[in-house]
Amino acid sequence: MVWVSAIVQGILVGGLFALFACGLSLMFGVMNVINLAHGDLAVIAAYLALGAVTVTHVPAIWSFVIVVPIFAGGGYLLQRTLLQAALNRSVLTTLLVTFGLSVVIENGLQQFFSANSRALNIGNLITESFSIGSQITIAYLDLGILVVAVVVLLGLQFFLSSSRHGRLIRAVADDREAAQIAGVSYRHVFGIAAAIAFGTVALAGIAFGMYQQFDPTIGTDQLLLFAFEAVVVGGLGSLWGTLAGGVLLGVAQQLGAVYNAADQMLAGQLFFLLVLLIRPSGIFGRKETA
Amino acid sequence: MDRQETDQSSPVEQPISRRSLLKGVGAGTLAVSAGGLIAACSSGIKGSGGSGSSGTINIGFITPLTGDLAGFASGDQFVLNQIKQSAVYKNGIKIGGKTYKFKINVQDSQSSPTTAAQVAQQLVLSDHVDMVLTTSTPETTNPVAAACQRLKTPCLSTVVPWESWYAGLGGDPLKPTTDFAYCSMFFFGLKEFIGTFSPIWNRIHTDKVVACQYPNDADGNAFRGGFEPLIRAAGYKVVDGGAYTDLSTNFTSMISEFKNKDCQVFSNCPLPPDFNVFWKQAVQQGFKPKIATVAKVLLFPADTVALGPLVNNIATDSWWGPYMPNKSSLTGISASGLANLYQSTTGNQWVQSIGSSYSLFEVAAEALKSVSDPHDHAEVAHALHNVNYTGMCGPLNFAAGPAPGVGIIDPVGVQWKKSSGKYPFEMVVVDNSLNKSVPIGANLEPTNA
Repeated sequence: MVWVSAIVQGILVGGLFALFACGLSLMFGVMNVINLAHGDLAVIAAYLALGAVTVTHVPAIWSFVIVVPIFAGGGYLLQRTLLQAALNRSVLTTLLVTFGLSVVIENGLQQFFSANSRALNIGNLITESFSIGSQITIAYLDLGILVVAVVVLLGLQFFLSSSRHGRLIRAVADDREAAQIAGVSYRHVFGIAAAIAFGTVALAGIAFGMYQQFDPTIGTDQLLLFAFEAVVVGGLGSLWGTLAGGVLLGVAQQLGAVYNAADQMLAGQLFFLLVLLIRPSGIFGRKETA
Repeated sequence: MDRQETDQSSPVEQPISRRSLLKGVGAGTLAVSAGGLIAACSSGIKGSGGSGSSGTINIGFITPLTGDLAGFASGDQFVLNQIKQSAVYKNGIKIGGKTYKFKINVQDSQSSPTTAAQVAQQLVLSDHVDMVLTTSTPETTNPVAAACQRLKTPCLSTVVPWESWYAGLGGDPLKPTTDFAYCSMFFFGLKEFIGTFSPIWNRIHTDKVVACQYPNDADGNAFRGGFEPLIRAAGYKVVDGGAYTDLSTNFTSMISEFKNKDCQVFSNCPLPPDFNVFWKQAVQQGFKPKIATVAKVLLFPADTVALGPLVNNIATDSWWGPYMPNKSSLTGISASGLANLYQSTTGNQWVQSIGSSYSLFEVAAEALKSVSDPHDHAEVAHALHNVNYTGMCGPLNFAAGPAPGVGIIDPVGVQWKKSSGKYPFEMVVVDNSLNKSVPIGANLEPTNA
């Protein structure tokens, strides 16, 4: 029963990992941008949500209505200016630029909001839970985050495979030159992809702000690594895979924790290495063609 | 394959050890010559006898103004302003018929041990400070103290358990006989933690099983090694949740173990984000210890904001507060006066670290009163080891501590309770077993009834 409980908790926390990894997966899959500022952007979203709650008095749960559009717009702008400029030089430049962005964001946040920890207050919901049997307790918040992650990732997968914009994004991702010959403005398409990615980052940041507490440095200290691992485990560029990757990573960690609390992180990392060893392209990744 | 490896490893290993040995010797000579240089400088200045820099006592102050630990330092700017307005630090101190002015050089450790060590070295070697004061967690104080001991400059630390500080200098807290001549500190240690927490536990009716959430880091391992035996000695059973990695996202397995073993007392020393997620999940999962005594978290009001109402009746230790019957040895202002002044000047709720930072400067002044030459590092360090005075942190006797140069503050047990005033929660004294001079502010209540 302890093991079943651990698997359930692992799936739940995996939802958070997957939600985090979604934007990273999209940015990499479409633009080949490895966004090292990903975790910090999520933290900005959490602070924005806090600001939105303070100013407009909307419940924290609904803050995404304000924050996600702002982030999507910001994502489009950032892609069309800074990230595109970096991409024009080389893919490696984007690594440096996003790393620099990460440092700027952390220090900027510290300047504005101090190093004090904050959290999004969702009232009693934070402590509400229900039980299945005597050993399994599920928090509504965790379940909610998992549902959001599944909806977002499946929705995006559907969007990419069936809508016109989605097809454009896939076309540009597959072969930029060919898409350009066909008359696609790839810069605009990149912008749209970035807007979607940033929108999901905002959701992840808000979810995290409710789940735990945040401070200016937690984005890189804690969030970035799990997001990367979820993306790699699932397979680069595959959104289905990212969902599976996040959940599997969560389950691996929790199973490790049942064995011994000291092995929680270790189990996650070992699982990650194992996947890299057996299937370097990730569980749902496309096999390298070259 | 095997042969190749051994062939490769042995010739590589030797030069490295030889090189590092040479490096060590080099650094040693460098330190010695630098020390000589400083001595030469100060004696040269002393010889000149005029005013100028010789008439100034240069104090370095290293504190984490930014970064993860900035909460500890949130009152330090206020404290510095108060100190600079006090008669001694404003008008100078008279030593051997000569009046010395003060210069305080503040450096930010950025909450990083590496930066702390760097700025300490810079203060000593470039700014030629006569003394270094430092505060707030082993991450700040230990690298600073180690650098000062190496460079033979007096160093005074606070807000660090003395065991961590002593071990950081290379001593053995179980046999605290080694004297680190240039380093002294005041705070408390594991004995005072148990002295504060066990009376609180004893007053709540429990099954005497303590859930321990100690991470796999310096503090966590110190608690596992040093605190768990003290818990057992106090007549309680220990359930160790395991040496988890800092910044874990999920504690449900640990929580179900605590639940299954029916732990009714809770003890920890985690990083703040880990406590936040642990405590939320504990409530979700139905783990409700009757009494929770935390260390390292919920020391300051800012920490309570993120948890909100969930902090109600969590107990912790307090080394300073407006309830302390203490007075400044510099200006005579009372503890409550200082806390009120802080609140009216900054608009923020008082933090207990203003008391300890304030006392750093009191102790420095006390030590300087008894020396003949404030630029003589050995003499000042010796004086710091023998300070015995009463000030903002109460009576401190550095000659009578558990280790050489350690002064002990007697803390009290406090609980976070809803406040009727301007701020949502405040620390209220619920146990004064170690320090009877502090009045009890409220009844001890179970964390979860």
